[in-house]
Amino acid sequence: MVALAVLVLLPTVFLASFPIVYFDEVRYEVFENPLVGDENLRMIISVLLFSFKLSISAVIIDLVLGIPLAFLLARGRFPGKTLLETLVTLPLVIPTSGFGFASLLTWTTVSGIGGWLGLGRGILETSATIPGTGIPILMLIVHVSLTLPYVVRTLQAKLVELNPVYEDASRTLGATSLTTFRKILLPQILPAVFSGSVLAFARSLGETGATMVVSGVRITAAIAVVRWEFEFKLGAAAFLGLILVLITWLIILPVELLLTGKQGIIKPPPLIYKTGLEKVFLKLESKLSKRGLRNLLYVVCIFAVAILVVIPVIVVGESVVAYWYADPYTGKREGGVVYQLLGPPNYLPAILRATAISFTSAFVSTYISVFLSIPLAYIIERYRFGRVLRAILKIPLVVPSSALGLSTLLMWGPKFMGLITPGIWLIILTHIVFSVPVIVETIIAVYEGSDIKLYEDAARTLGANPYYTAEKISLPVLKEGIITGAILSFTHSLGETGATMIVMGSDIPISALVVNMVESLAIPAALFTSTYLIFISMALIFVFRLATRRK
Amino acid sequence: MPEVKLVNIVKRFGNITALRGINLTVENGEYVCILGPSGCGKTTLLRIIAGLLKPDEGQVYIDGEDVTHKPPEYRGVGFVFQSIALFPHMNSWENVLYGPTVKGLDKSISHRIAREIMRTLKTIDYSGLYPGELSGGIAQMIAIARALATGAKLLLLDEPLGALDPRIRVDLRYELRRIVKGLGLTAIHVTHNQEEALTIADRIVVMRSGMVEAYDTPENLYWHPKNLFVADFIGKVNVLEGFIKKALTGGKALVELTGGISIEVYAKGFSEGDKVVVAVRPENFEILDRSEADKPNLLRGVVTRARFMGDYYRYDVTLESGERVTVNTPLYRSEKIQVRKKGEPVLVRFDPEKALVYAYPKRGIERELSIEV
Ligand SMILES: Nc1ncnc2c1ncn2[C@@H]1O[C@H](COP(=O)(O)OP(=O)(O)O)[C@@H](O)[C@H]1O
Ligand SMILES: [Mg+2]
Repeated sequence: MVALAVLVLLPTVFLASFPIVYFDEVRYEVFENPLVGDENLRMIISVLLFSFKLSISAVIIDLVLGIPLAFLLARGRFPGKTLLETLVTLPLVIPTSGFGFASLLTWTTVSGIGGWLGLGRGILETSATIPGTGIPILMLIVHVSLTLPYVVRTLQAKLVELNPVYEDASRTLGATSLTTFRKILLPQILPAVFSGSVLAFARSLGETGATMVVSGVRITAAIAVVRWEFEFKLGAAAFLGLILVLITWLIILPVELLLTGKQGIIKPPPLIYKTGLEKVFLKLESKLSKRGLRNLLYVVCIFAVAILVVIPVIVVGESVVAYWYADPYTGKREGGVVYQLLGPPNYLPAILRATAISFTSAFVSTYISVFLSIPLAYIIERYRFGRVLRAILKIPLVVPSSALGLSTLLMWGPKFMGLITPGIWLIILTHIVFSVPVIVETIIAVYEGSDIKLYEDAARTLGANPYYTAEKISLPVLKEGIITGAILSFTHSLGETGATMIVMGSDIPISALVVNMVESLAIPAALFTSTYLIFISMALIFVFRLATRRK
Repeated sequence: MPEVKLVNIVKRFGNITALRGINLTVENGEYVCILGPSGCGKTTLLRIIAGLLKPDEGQVYIDGEDVTHKPPEYRGVGFVFQSIALFPHMNSWENVLYGPTVKGLDKSISHRIAREIMRTLKTIDYSGLYPGELSGGIAQMIAIARALATGAKLLLLDEPLGALDPRIRVDLRYELRRIVKGLGLTAIHVTHNQEEALTIADRIVVMRSGMVEAYDTPENLYWHPKNLFVADFIGKVNVLEGFIKKALTGGKALVELTGGISIEVYAKGFSEGDKVVVAVRPENFEILDRSEADKPNLLRGVVTRARFMGDYYRYDVTLESGERVTVNTPLYRSEKIQVRKKGEPVLVRFDPEKALVYAYPKRGIERELSIEV
């Protein structure tokens, strides 16, 4: 418990104390800077507003694409379903900086879609915005790709659990498929729509790795935290980080407490029915419920996934090949992958060192997290306050990782405890904070989906003591969940950027290396490293699928 | 007025063939039960009639119209589910109102329809309650009201009583038939309970492994089952093996059983020497005292088990041939009836007209009676 509090919970909340303890510093930097006045405060507000606009737009698109996709995955039966499912979830495990770079290539350079279409340039400018909204298109695309899995997975899980008999009943009662969706399914999946959206929103709000790569001049709140930390504007960074954490807390906690436990069905007010719009809706739905239209919708959504996820991966792979010896456009050897890795820029040692750092920190943090998670999952399931604990534990998953990184840095680092300086050990400590919740959640999922409680009680009635029971009965059954959680946490750790960049000091892991390369315009090296990172993750997932298939 | 006609319906799920060429006509106003062991394709067939599934081959006609490719919402069919499936986020009233509403009927008309049907089914008192607050029987009645409120004249019921208490199950099945007949509907009712089918159906479809084995009235199925499987499925039978020893006059024949004893049965279309099976229902055996040993069709045996079943005694008797039979002795002439004990030697007898005779199944008796084909 103590270890848990110190390692996991404290860092999450430590940030809150900083602006209070160092109130003067914050006031000086944010509110009353003698040089720029409240310039920083205005920056904070504008950055926050921009982040909100971006994240809300991303969530709306997520829902438009995600609901049909979730439906297709939950109810459909077609060849390639597992493939589609894997593709949708891929962004959860691909290191985001690598993915961001792949998207950047795909949309804004001649190596991507533009080149395929023979345009001789990218089809988008990095700075292109959606007219009238100021939302950068590329950033939105990347955020949609990265957050879509949260919406799809949450909805899919809910739909799978819903008995399709209600849909059948509705159809035989004369409702078309769209009417059935509106009147029968929607009320039942609304809680899932809600929690999926919240997760996606929080994730988008906190996304750092990919966003830094594609951001151009616009910065989001999460990036601002990282930038300001680099510029030693700790006060402003902490203040903004705290606001981000608070917003996430405020969104997540009520939703979690409201929706978990209760078998939530929301009864929507009969707005449409009351206003007499019902008939208009019915007519429209009956027109749109034609089979052909529905299939068209599915095709569009699948196509969107292909564009968002598959093409960037292909583009980045293809580009590495194209750039291998030289820049294919100028023909200069200096622009080739080989030159940058082995020639004077000599990135290879950096990549190798980064790989070692990444794997070491991912391995150590996962290892420690597994040992913390098992008793935690047990506590959550056995005790009344478990539910609150579980909700609190979800926070590191959705809090902007740069804010979290800042919090651990402030807590362990020179400013407060002075125990650990930035570097690999701090990376490990930071990664533990979000690895524990991932593993705990998967263990709980397995636990609740199995009959372990039954076995445990049976073992107890047969006279086994609780420790014996846990060791001989529960642990073997939970192995599946523990392994899954460990692999998820390992890949997450490999790809994490936001927090890592803040706490890494001079121990640069591979995900941060990609960001550095892009910022120093070492494109071929970035290309190689992104591809390398993406393929390592995909290989891990593949191994993981093989390992779990056996069942 | 609905008449349902199925022509050569085939349905596959991957490499399972759930239905292998079903041909069936249900007349207007008929109450038909589909009876068969679990997994034989009953639900699949019903879902195909409703349009919830599409057949891989064949056509569905309702009222003479080919509806094979029509979506379920336009077929005008009421479907009642084993799991009841009242919408959990609506109360009873809203559930019943759902059909008329999604059909786009005016509010006043929808309300009138819902009120009338709920009155007819005596469920109006439960209008305000949610599915979770209803007992199984009431909930299913509301589900039926919901199906009928759409104006459906064809009611498809998939094991509608399967989820209910045994006692309510029995009451409700007569109620079901009364409603269907009272409103002049056509009903197709799926069940795996043979007693349920026998007591309420006009005609029964016996299915096995995706095929129709028999389609006839309950009486005909009971007294003249087409084959050994149907005989055994509609009330159990005891099977005795033998061969035709001699044809007798009046459609009778003499059959010599395995144990060497000859018995008299009604059997047409066999020639001497044919291998046959004689099937006798447990309730058509009687146990005699030693003093009556001069009657025909007598078999000797020993009681190996005696069980009191409430309104009858069930005896397991091992015959001299080594074959085991079950004998049910009703209690109506009881009091004086002698209760047999385990180990007691007995005489077992049956009337020739109550024995069913079939050619010896080519694949053996065991396989013939199994639910697989
Ligand atoms: N959706 C489905 N997918 C795969 N197999 C199915 C599906 N529905 C039914 N089956 C198979 O078809 C056969 C018939 O099923 P069903 O019609 O439900 O039988 P019954 O209702 O008579 O118990 C069974 O072998 C079942 O496993
Ligand atoms: Mg069934």
